[in-house]
Amino acid sequence: MITKQWILLNNEIMTKKDDEFSLHKDKEAVRSYFLDYVNKNTVFFYTLKEKIDYLIEHKYYVNFYEQYTFDEMKEVYDFVYAKKFRFQSFMSAFKFFQSYALRDDSGEKFLERYEDRVVSVSLFLAAGDVQRALEYAEILINQEYQPATPTFLNAGKLRSGELVSCFLDEIGDNLSGISYAIDEAMKLSSIGGGVSFNISKVRARGEAIKGVEGRSSGVLPVMKILEDTFSYANQLGQRPGAGAVYLNIFHNDIDEFLDCKKINVDEKLRIKSLSIGVVIPDKFMEIAEKDDVCYLFYPHTVFREYGQYLDEMDMDAMYEQLVSNPKVKKRKVNARHLIIKIAQTQKESGYPYLFFKDNANRGHALNGIGSVKFSNLCTEIMQLSQVSDIETYEKEDTIRYGISCNLGSLNIATTMENKRIKEVVKTAMRALTVVTDRSDIKMVPTIQKANRELHSVGLGAMNLHGFLAKNYIMYESKEALDFCNVFFMMVNYYSIETSMEISRERGIQFEGFEKSDYANGSYFDKYISNEFFPVTDRVKELFEGVEIPSPVEWEKLKQDVMQHGMYHAYRMAIAPNQSTSYIMNATASVMPVVDTIEVREYGDSTTYYPMPYLDNDNYFFYKSAYDMDQKNVLRLISVIQRHVDQGISTILHTNSKDTTRDLAKYYIYAHKMGLKSLYYTRTRKASIDECISCSV
Amino acid sequence: MSQYKAVNWNTPENDYVGMFWEQNIRQFWIDTEYIPSKDIDSWKSLSPEMQECYMKALSGLTLLDTLQSHTGMPKLLDHISGLQSKAVLSFMCMMEAIHAKSYSTIFTTVASTSQINDVFDWVQNNKFLQFKATTIDKQYRVLDKNKVTNEELFLALGSSVLLETFLFYSGFFIPLWLAGQGQMVASADIIKKIVADESIHGVFVGLLAQEVYKKLKDPEASKRKLLAIMDELYENELKYTDEVYTDVGLTADVKDYIRYNGNKAMMNLGFEPVYEVKDVNSIVLNGLSVETTQHDFFSKKSTNYEKATAVTHLHDDDFEPDLSLPV
Repeated sequence: MITKQWILLNNEIMTKKDDEFSLHKDKEAVRSYFLDYVNKNTVFFYTLKEKIDYLIEHKYYVNFYEQYTFDEMKEVYDFVYAKKFRFQSFMSAFKFFQSYALRDDSGEKFLERYEDRVVSVSLFLAAGDVQRALEYAEILINQEYQPATPTFLNAGKLRSGELVSCFLDEIGDNLSGISYAIDEAMKLSSIGGGVSFNISKVRARGEAIKGVEGRSSGVLPVMKILEDTFSYANQLGQRPGAGAVYLNIFHNDIDEFLDCKKINVDEKLRIKSLSIGVVIPDKFMEIAEKDDVCYLFYPHTVFREYGQYLDEMDMDAMYEQLVSNPKVKKRKVNARHLIIKIAQTQKESGYPYLFFKDNANRGHALNGIGSVKFSNLCTEIMQLSQVSDIETYEKEDTIRYGISCNLGSLNIATTMENKRIKEVVKTAMRALTVVTDRSDIKMVPTIQKANRELHSVGLGAMNLHGFLAKNYIMYESKEALDFCNVFFMMVNYYSIETSMEISRERGIQFEGFEKSDYANGSYFDKYISNEFFPVTDRVKELFEGVEIPSPVEWEKLKQDVMQHGMYHAYRMAIAPNQSTSYIMNATASVMPVVDTIEVREYGDSTTYYPMPYLDNDNYFFYKSAYDMDQKNVLRLISVIQRHVDQGISTILHTNSKDTTRDLAKYYIYAHKMGLKSLYYTRTRKASIDECISCSV
Repeated sequence: MSQYKAVNWNTPENDYVGMFWEQNIRQFWIDTEYIPSKDIDSWKSLSPEMQECYMKALSGLTLLDTLQSHTGMPKLLDHISGLQSKAVLSFMCMMEAIHAKSYSTIFTTVASTSQINDVFDWVQNNKFLQFKATTIDKQYRVLDKNKVTNEELFLALGSSVLLETFLFYSGFFIPLWLAGQGQMVASADIIKKIVADESIHGVFVGLLAQEVYKKLKDPEASKRKLLAIMDELYENELKYTDEVYTDVGLTADVKDYIRYNGNKAMMNLGFEPVYEVKDVNSIVLNGLSVETTQHDFFSKKSTNYEKATAVTHLHDDDFEPDLSLPV
């Protein structure tokens, strides 16, 4: 085994010459990667016809001839190849060929280049409409839009996984409900899905079973089973399943739940690979602020008393009543100490995620149908859910809403440079809609029902920091806030417009539309009474030549929506998008970068990734997230959140020296600024060199 | 009758011992936090030669960590006067024991029992490994008495630094090299934690050695003695490398890496570098960096998190942040 030349070259970026990194080595790495590896391992075809026929005959591609003539396909191929696409960094090329390009059945030879994948996705999504296929191909090859991994990876392949990968569901508080969840976890995991569960309804340790006190063993054993289930169902060994569970902070098992990430805890109680999140209602933050005594409740005693689940109650209205009801079993804790315990757990493990439940439901346009109770593996999906009644064999189940969501991201930099926000958003929404229409997860009825009736999608964005740095704007500046306020308002506008148009074309609205704030028009109030135009000179320049919707247009849109309805119950969600941002040579999501050259560890490799467009002039604008005041980051996210109906994956970047109190202050700030969730907390370690230099 | 003193952390012994205590605690970890079972497929894809090289490298490391935890640290801390420094050394001693066990955690997960038994037999019978252990152990055993001279103490501390900063790296090379190319990545997480520990151990013991060095009557003579030990070890290390790495064709790279780390050991002792180093394989060099990396939580466990040592609580005014927004 000899060292692979391209990996060596990529590593040599880090060798400093005259105090500068050897960035040119990255280009050499791309070259070597193609010459020494990709080209040698790609199957060669003499003609396009030969290639297409081979891929279809050998069961790699679906039979596109059923929908297109050869000439139609050729038109799309020619259009895409004429764009002369080149990978801008080693990471982009490596990630694409490593994880996305189609290989032959031996796994050794590549059958696709980037252009081929783009065409395959476009043809598949357009389902026979060449004009549409060209539109999809254009936003993809321009790198203006990137579908999430399952879509980009699988579209057009005959033998492939699902196009959707993000699922959520409730767990009912009985054996049938728990078994359904385990079954669901296994099935969804086997098709590559990440699954998140709300376990807040499961009774706490020590509660009654069949009326006998002290018999329940709480949420931990359920988590343990789920964890093992996810690692068992690993898509033919391709990647281990991923799962998350959320617990309401008023649930009595919350201490145990947080302790499961401790390193020196008994094996039965330790959770290694399952992600955890805490659901925090406003009431809890209020108790912490006033430093009042806080009570945690035993959820089953609450259910027996009120016939309603603890985590579905409006705690502002019910908390005092629960406290004074002697039949509700409870325990006294200090709320501030509990917040600190969360901070301590985050410092040691990055977990838990925080989900601010009331922030997520304030302004939730579907409150007339149901409320949002928890979030997903990446804390950006926020949709209503309902627990199903799963019965024993002889009785019929009552299936209610789980959550299914398919995602995609705009590339802010290319979209802005091409001045195509409207076109890109509209085409992207169409692409996401196709995925929803084509997905039908029959084996999990709660997920199937949600997808069939609600058609939810999640349009996000990436490359915010890259775009800002390229334009010499600091991430923490007023200009950045100004830009996001306008840009995301426009994404919101065009996504609603497209959803309305699809509803009008098909005469189909999402189930329950008439009970939503879109139907009664109140959703549009803030856009009709406020203008969202740029206020700073720099941002005005950036939007020059772009038409920005005014309150007049919003009023028009409101009328259209009230008349024609909307096809999607949910439209936007900003995912953390990791792999896909590398392919796009973009900075991930709307987060700041961690370093000018990122050291990226995957389960299968370590790669060095210089930030997009990095040079000596914009170096300064790539300030590391670890060096920023996190409040500035949260402030920017709060501005974006105004225009996003679901959530935004928001990562806190902290340093070793930050105390638990510092972290807790970020939670308080995030909550007060209206953020709906916080994703991981990452910590930059203090290295001993740093310590030595200041103390010895 | 001698008086017994209790360790008093209220008065710092010197300006660095407190910091090393803190850093050690923060870095604390145990092997079972990590998930080497993710490497089973990767292990099976390695050639038999590579598997053997990996096993030998790790079992060699096991021997060194065993020596360090069972003899090195206990002997040293017996003769270090500062009580706080003793405390730091005893914590490090415990970590060495965890290191020694953690290699087994990797073996047990990926290799068969007969493979494991074979490689432990190999350790006992390999003359180069035994030479390493004997050479270092001899310096430790000199401390087996009540009173030791400053020179004896300096040589023992110096040998410990050589072991931590110099001799370990012929073993670390292969896991870091493989991980840089996407092989045995989950196990490399464990190795990286060990690398991070050994790096502070080497620096700390090096600082203690420098203090003793200042008190020496004839420092140059003592330094010569240490360098002579180092020379012997270096020659032995080259032969050891030939034995372990020839079949996988990495001998030259490993030797460069050994020289690079030899110079680092000298720096820890406050001396000038002794070897001329050409380009060190950048994959392995980057793998050495113990700084924070980006990772995806779903595919691997991070090595970035540390024990939260300082827990501070909230105040009333923490709930009244400035909420203003310019747009």
